[in-house]
Amino acid sequence: MVFEVFARKSRGEALRHIGNLNAPDAELARVYAFNTYDEEKWFDLWVVARSQLHEVYSRSDAGEVQRGEH
Amino acid sequence: MELSAQVRDAVRDLTLVLADSKRLLGMRYAGWMLGAPEIEAGIACASMAQDEWGHGRLLYALLKEFGDDPDAFEHGREPAAYRNVQALDVAPDAWAALVALNMLVDTALTVQLEALRGSSWTPLAQRVGKMLDEEQFHAAHAAAWAHWFARTGDAGMRELRGAVGRIAPVVSQWFGPDSDRARALVDEGVLDAAGSTLRERYLARIAPLLASVGADGHAPPSFDRFDEATRRVPGSAPDGETIRNVRGDRNRVFLMD
Repeated sequence: MVFEVFARKSRGEALRHIGNLNAPDAELARVYAFNTYDEEKWFDLWVVARSQLHEVYSRSDAGEVQRGEH
Repeated sequence: MELSAQVRDAVRDLTLVLADSKRLLGMRYAGWMLGAPEIEAGIACASMAQDEWGHGRLLYALLKEFGDDPDAFEHGREPAAYRNVQALDVAPDAWAALVALNMLVDTALTVQLEALRGSSWTPLAQRVGKMLDEEQFHAAHAAAWAHWFARTGDAGMRELRGAVGRIAPVVSQWFGPDSDRARALVDEGVLDAAGSTLRERYLARIAPLLASVGADGHAPPSFDRFDEATRRVPGSAPDGETIRNVRGDRNRVFLMD
């Protein structure tokens, strides 16, 4: 499974997408995120399964709004 | 607090046991930086190896406090002189066997370090906190893999049970007997507990993981021929190739003073 990794530098800052990783489950994804992304000193670090991200919409090259698939 | 001569010897022995165990555990993790189930697992092994080597280096350096030369310990000993946890003598031949080392040996070393947190021997007490912070993620790695094996429940889990069964007795024995030597370490405040109390803490720590994979780690320890100074049974040693790599034999010419 692919997990997206988010972090922020300081309290109150917006979460920032910093990368992704492969892991068989969320428990291992948390460990791997620490091992892989802890080189920088983050305030906090999060993972979420890519399958849990639901697109609301995206724009085509022509600027038209296209609703995401559920 | 000034340590008695008998306890000073025991503290030096314990420091060397921990240093050698961490160095060898680092080698065992490093052996799986390539060939782990996925690149992320390889990175986890690299990260844990780096932690263990850092802890080993720090512990060898502490031997200066006893008038020893850390370089001689790091580069000048034969395999038979190493005092690592015996379960680290042989490279794990399968991923499940590495996970078993992660579950049992890494946890045992952590339980031993925790007993040194408020140690009257301040050089070590001051350094234990950072090591234990890093160890949290080694424990999380062991738990996550144990749960993965439990969930997938295939041949891998049988392999994990087998590896746990092979190393559990030696790790259980490693905490040693409730001897006068062990008691003196507690009485002088070097350790907050020793022997059977630490063994119980370790067994309580690993119990949920063992239960999740249906393994039994409760081997009643035997202290037949057990040497308290080295925490090993004499007559065994880590493999020569690993120790040649640990010492850096092939690159001795590049070793700086």
